[in-house]
Amino acid sequence: MKLKSFFTISAISMSAATYAQESTSSTSSPLQISGSADTYYKYDFAKKQNIGTSFANDQNSVSLGMIDLALKKTTGKASFVGELSFGPRGQAGSIPNGDGDELNADNSFHIQNLYASYAFTDKLSMTAGYMGTFVGYEVIAPTGNFNYSTSYLFTSGPFQNAGIKANYVFSPKVAVMVGLFNDWNVYKDENGVSHFGAQLTVSPAEGWTAYLNVLTGKSAGAPGTGSIFDLTTAYQVTEKVKIGLNAADYTISDDNGGYSGAALYLQNAFTTSFSLGLRGEYFKSKSDTNGLTLAGVTPGESVVAITVSGNVKAGGLTFIPEVRFDNASSPQFLKNNLDPTKSASQFSLAAVYAF
Amino acid sequence: MLFIMVANLSSFAQIKGDEDMARDERGKYIYYEVVNGTSAAADNLRARALEFLKLKKVSNVKSANEQITASGKFLISKTAFVLTHPSGEVLYNFYFEIKGDKYRFWLTDFSFIPYKRDRYANFVPATTKSLPLETEPGKLNAGEWKSYISVTNKQATAFAADFKEFLSSARKSKVQPKAKPAISTKSW
Repeated sequence: MKLKSFFTISAISMSAATYAQESTSSTSSPLQISGSADTYYKYDFAKKQNIGTSFANDQNSVSLGMIDLALKKTTGKASFVGELSFGPRGQAGSIPNGDGDELNADNSFHIQNLYASYAFTDKLSMTAGYMGTFVGYEVIAPTGNFNYSTSYLFTSGPFQNAGIKANYVFSPKVAVMVGLFNDWNVYKDENGVSHFGAQLTVSPAEGWTAYLNVLTGKSAGAPGTGSIFDLTTAYQVTEKVKIGLNAADYTISDDNGGYSGAALYLQNAFTTSFSLGLRGEYFKSKSDTNGLTLAGVTPGESVVAITVSGNVKAGGLTFIPEVRFDNASSPQFLKNNLDPTKSASQFSLAAVYAF
Repeated sequence: MLFIMVANLSSFAQIKGDEDMARDERGKYIYYEVVNGTSAAADNLRARALEFLKLKKVSNVKSANEQITASGKFLISKTAFVLTHPSGEVLYNFYFEIKGDKYRFWLTDFSFIPYKRDRYANFVPATTKSLPLETEPGKLNAGEWKSYISVTNKQATAFAADFKEFLSSARKSKVQPKAKPAISTKSW
């Protein structure tokens, strides 16, 4: 089917809107089906695959992101969510192959989220299963981010945290989550459920929400205990202006490296169809004895990344033109003639459809 | 007497077409209705209105100076074939007044908050700042915005119908269902 026909049919079918009864009590809801599909083109000005953050990595190619389908059903106080993804972004780019069993080494389970929840009261609920991480500002699904390329903080942090957690809402302004989790980004934990995580959510003022996150534990085969402390906050200043901030620090004990960084997000909606956003990020890999090279940033080195993205919305379709400039403290990138260099820049254009 | 009461009960609602909503003197979209010929006492009507708002879980209910005000929201869901999920919510303000043997109510100050999917695949408000429904959406989103207005009109109409029915229905005591006798298999 031609792309134009696909979008035309999708637009017609999606234009019918029906209302649902407003309800704040636990009732059965119809099966919710939603998802997204994305594709992109990226051009690195040195004609090399330089910037090593997640997704949008193919150079000078019209490439696939992913197609993503999410199911949700609520019956009384119980609900489940299952989210499947297919494509480079939704498979090797974001979820593990298999469960560590050799027989599943080349198997993608395609699962981004698979969990069940139970609301004991209006304030207390518990959730168990395989879930998107609660840490960080950016997410895997392109519909959840303003920028199409991702930050170094996102790439270096957890993507999923399987486990069991309890959420308690003290008031509309304060909530807490505590839980026990598997190692980062695995379907099966090889050394037992060994991570503790917690999140404090506060809404100090209208339009402002902040999340203080902590996740600590020893992963299978890791040289030490890894602990990440993360602040994610966003403030809708006016109906047009939004400010976001993500700051994180990750350390593996016994001088085994880690990272720290911060990213600032500024967005302005000029019209209901067009917004412009700026992301400025500073990221550093810790200079420990056994430090880590993260997204190309070697131990003791750092990078500053400036990203300017537009969002042009037409119904469920969003076009994201983007330019990005990365400048590192060491020559971690390549020029066209293969000489090392400290800077890299790229242009990308993405089409993201949410349904 | 009941026939006379029903015959005298007339209402005038400013309802236009399926997709069009009326606007008030401020240029704001409004659902406005005057109900004439009510025989219920003003205190009774006021109490029923408050009870209705409580049942509907409408917030910020205030009763002062012969007027009841409240704030509420309608959930907008997109449904196409088997796909359905929330796409946003429309906030509104509700007003209710009584005068003699008639009362009026209206819903206005409609504003829209879009929803987006979060990291756990749940739909949550994408922003905390709502956009007035009177906002010009531009050509790219005109079709979708028009559907939001249409759905808001339908929801407001349904809300009004429920409200009027609640106010007009006489209070009935709950009839306890008779217990079904147990069937005996011993004697036959």
